[in-house]
Amino acid sequence: MKAPHLIISSTLLLSLLWTAPLLADDFPEKPINIVVPWPTGGAYDLAARLMAEHASHTFSVPLVVQNVTGAAGSTGVRHVADATADGYTIGVMGTHAIAQSYMNPNATALDDLTPLVFIGPEPAALAVTQDADIDDVAAYLDTLNEAPGSVINGNDSPGGFSYIAATMLENQFDVELTKIPYQGYAPTVSALLSGEVMSALLPIPLLADQHAAGQLRLLGVAAQERHPFTPEVPTFQEQGYDFIAEDFFMLYLPGDVPEERRNKLAEMFYALLQDASFQEAASDIGLMIQPRPQDETARYLEQRADEVYDILAASGLVDDSLTR
Amino acid sequence: MLIESFMSALIETLLSPWGLLLAALGALLGIILGALPGVSSTMALAILLPLSFSMDAHLAILFLLCVFVASVYGGSISAILINIPGTPGAIVTQLDGHPMAKAGKAREALVYALVASTVGGAFGLGLLVMTAPLLATVAMSFRSPEFAAVAVFGLVLLAYASPGTTVRGLLVGAIGLICGMVGFDTLTDVPRFTFDTRTLQGGVELVPLCVGLFGLAEVLKHLHASHQAAPAVSIQATQRSQLKVRALLKRWKSMLRGSLIGAFVGAIPAAGSAIAVAIAYAQEVRFSKHPEQFGQGAVEGVVAPEAANSSSIGGTMIPMMTLGVPGDAITAVLMGSLLIHGLRPGPMLFAENPHIVSSIYAGFFIALLLTLIIGLLLMRWLPLILRIPSHVLLIGIALLCVVGAYAIRNSMADVYIMLFFGALGYLLHLLSLPSAPLAFGLILGPLLEENLRRSLILGRGSWDIFLHSPIAMSLFALSIFATALPLLAPLWVRLKSDLQRMKVPF
Repeated sequence: MKAPHLIISSTLLLSLLWTAPLLADDFPEKPINIVVPWPTGGAYDLAARLMAEHASHTFSVPLVVQNVTGAAGSTGVRHVADATADGYTIGVMGTHAIAQSYMNPNATALDDLTPLVFIGPEPAALAVTQDADIDDVAAYLDTLNEAPGSVINGNDSPGGFSYIAATMLENQFDVELTKIPYQGYAPTVSALLSGEVMSALLPIPLLADQHAAGQLRLLGVAAQERHPFTPEVPTFQEQGYDFIAEDFFMLYLPGDVPEERRNKLAEMFYALLQDASFQEAASDIGLMIQPRPQDETARYLEQRADEVYDILAASGLVDDSLTR
Repeated sequence: MLIESFMSALIETLLSPWGLLLAALGALLGIILGALPGVSSTMALAILLPLSFSMDAHLAILFLLCVFVASVYGGSISAILINIPGTPGAIVTQLDGHPMAKAGKAREALVYALVASTVGGAFGLGLLVMTAPLLATVAMSFRSPEFAAVAVFGLVLLAYASPGTTVRGLLVGAIGLICGMVGFDTLTDVPRFTFDTRTLQGGVELVPLCVGLFGLAEVLKHLHASHQAAPAVSIQATQRSQLKVRALLKRWKSMLRGSLIGAFVGAIPAAGSAIAVAIAYAQEVRFSKHPEQFGQGAVEGVVAPEAANSSSIGGTMIPMMTLGVPGDAITAVLMGSLLIHGLRPGPMLFAENPHIVSSIYAGFFIALLLTLIIGLLLMRWLPLILRIPSHVLLIGIALLCVVGAYAIRNSMADVYIMLFFGALGYLLHLLSLPSAPLAFGLILGPLLEENLRRSLILGRGSWDIFLHSPIAMSLFALSIFATALPLLAPLWVRLKSDLQRMKVPF
């Protein structure tokens, strides 16, 4: 397995060196793969598929979505990191990749990835069951202050975004939740609807309809602004609490894609993300598109990595070999 | 009101040639993709999803529903003909379907599967249309403790469901349970049994395991047998055996039981068709008067799981339509495609877009009809497949095993896992141990572990949480009853004969 790999890659490398100037002009000349680390149907997958659908406006080649799933998203990230760095393999990632890089010695380190374009944030909202009889964030925090651990919160297993969001809430307000792990957002929402858990911090599109139908209650949006899906739900800040918890979508490349190609890709995707018809389709399904150029994306990732690292370290979840 | 709009949506689609053509195309593609090992219903939908982007919303739904429904039946084709389940929902179909095919009853097995699928599908649809809100409420009372109890009940039934002695079944089932623990721990994300390799981090997926255990092992068996100049692969008889409609009708009870279990298990969020068929099959064996016939080509062993996997379609759509929560991976894709068309399934859909709800129901109905018709038409080509020389077929199957294992997650790790379980399946065959309990253990083990542990966290370490759940307690009681049945049955027989004897003197 290794030897042919080596031969192929060295031949590729040689031919690349030989024809580099020529190739650079033609890039891209074949379909580009977007690797999604989660199964079909989720928000990451929908974002990638919408990009693929609208690619013809700004791309000369098609985008192909590929779901490489498993191991809390780290299989997909590694698939991209190990791919030939020719710019034809791009990945989508979010908070999970940062968390895995500190928790799992077998996951890809963030340094092995090159941030390309920031797609947008995915803000969370705090939801409680109807039976919980809690009307706003203040009442929620009061309940927790009176009896620490009395609120049973549904979230991901440690390292998933909704776990990190719940931990951020605990840290910020110095309260204690009883955190119950579920395998992903859909089971968490069902647990909330069935009353097995009392609260959850999840992306808003997953909760908006159930809120409108009165099956659960949204207490606050953990973002700078209200969400277009739930314009009547105030933010935490409006209620006097400075609390922001958002996941994000970002495109990245394997480590050493030639700079020229990287810039070209960044430019093309940035244009795609600003395409009006793409933005309209994205807002229909509740995705917020706020593209950022390459250098800002890299800065954002660094900031988030610091934040997430601190949360994980405080909870004792950072692997011994990966401490900073 | 509902029936009226359902009928109008139905007629509208049936009268538009474009819609009907699309639906037929969807059903055909669904059957073919479903029959390809490794292409699950989820993948069939994902592959064809981009095609639906440019269609009108109601046509796109119709097309995808046809793919979905047809692929569930399609999975049984490869299960019956080449002993590889085409989709996870077909994993138990081959246990009796393939022996039937080997005995020259391939066509019969396929027709049974098709009819059972249609009946099951219609049953699931009926429940979805009539009782969706009610059933959703009942399904929502299934929380972690109830789930754990379902898994226990399933495991108890499955202990008896394997051919051969119970001890052998339990032994292999335990290996399956351990395989289910490989990879990330579901509650804490801590890697377990990975031996610090990346390959095992993703865990053991059901599809690569089944493809190896049943498909590749079958190839190995035939390679071994061919030294003894025995006719290699299966299915000699291609003659048209008379189909017995009456024999099929006699199985209505199995179909009904399978449909009920399928629809209900499907309606519980996060359960899915693999669990539904495992339980449907197990209860058929456990409560059958002739359990020894299972595994040798029992018709009940084909119709019950096929009815279950199709009726679970309607079941999984119940939480999607009423609560906006996808019931399993397949409905997650379906929901994603609806989202792309700007329709968000959930509580508000009934209020805001009632005609879309009707057209989803009508589309489902059309999908069932078309799958039946196209499935029957495709039977004509069956002899062609069966006439492929065995050595060519064996190579083809081996190839499909590798491609199928790779395709499910685009990962080489799954190919290695498939190869490993192929070898293991062959080894089990040499040791005359049953291999099916391994797959059952893998399905139910993680379900039990995750929900048991979560229940205990919820109960803050106390087992009382199970005592407070009537559903869980009844399921435990049923499990005890099923275990005690072999002990009680002789007593019952003796009691009856004693009573009779007592009557004699008078």
